[in-house]
Amino acid sequence: MTFTGLIGRICMFPLRLIINLCVRLKIHPNTLTFIGVLINVAAAWALALGKFVTAGVIMTIANIFDFIDGKVAHESQAVSAFGGFWDSVIDRFSDISLFIGLIFLYSDLRRTDYVMVTALAMMFTIMTSYTRARAESIIKKCKVGFMERPERIVLFMIGAFTNRMAAVMWVILVLSIFTVADRIILTYRELRETHEAIA
Amino acid sequence: MTSTPLPLRVLWNAFYWTYERATWQYDVMVVSILAFVWLTPPDWLKDPMASGSGPIGWLLDVLK
Repeated sequence: MTFTGLIGRICMFPLRLIINLCVRLKIHPNTLTFIGVLINVAAAWALALGKFVTAGVIMTIANIFDFIDGKVAHESQAVSAFGGFWDSVIDRFSDISLFIGLIFLYSDLRRTDYVMVTALAMMFTIMTSYTRARAESIIKKCKVGFMERPERIVLFMIGAFTNRMAAVMWVILVLSIFTVADRIILTYRELRETHEAIA
Repeated sequence: MTSTPLPLRVLWNAFYWTYERATWQYDVMVVSILAFVWLTPPDWLKDPMASGSGPIGWLLDVLK
């Protein structure tokens, strides 16, 4: 077993209890998704105030909701096309709100350099999901690149809890640029292969 | 890519990421990221919220 696989298994134990509780209480997965974004907005507020540890705690709670909504939908047989769409849209709001919180903080500190780093990280984060969504309308699957949402969320929490948000912003920016590039390359290759196969 | 030298292939595979989570390649990437985040002195990055030279700066001071 890998190191990250072991951490995943350990975290899954308390999450399984919460998932079972939500299924038993018949909480609709779309409600969980919406609660998640509201809590993330509170985390963004804490980031904007420079209260990183508080933001980290709030983000942890918000991300529990983010993580379990799909599993609850699956276990309560409430999986729907709209649920998937709703989840994706709400996830983008959650992502963007955290970045806006940081942009507010850095602009309040008159740090234009980090306003730019965070704004660019936000841009490539949005492009990461857009490139995949757009690519999968023309090719079968476009799941390449390291910096996806779970990685981003964990990095945000690490940055908040250990007060290393600047380093985290650089990592998210660089790896999101790579991820967008990977998705463009994969889509180009797949389409070229399809075109060659037809010709 | 098979005729490419190993270091270049490693760099390309790190850039063009196709590995799943919970693989050893993923672990290596995670450890590298955490090393960068925790070991890089905040002063080097001009971190607006943190200061100090961090573990690397401390090590460099000791070695001086």
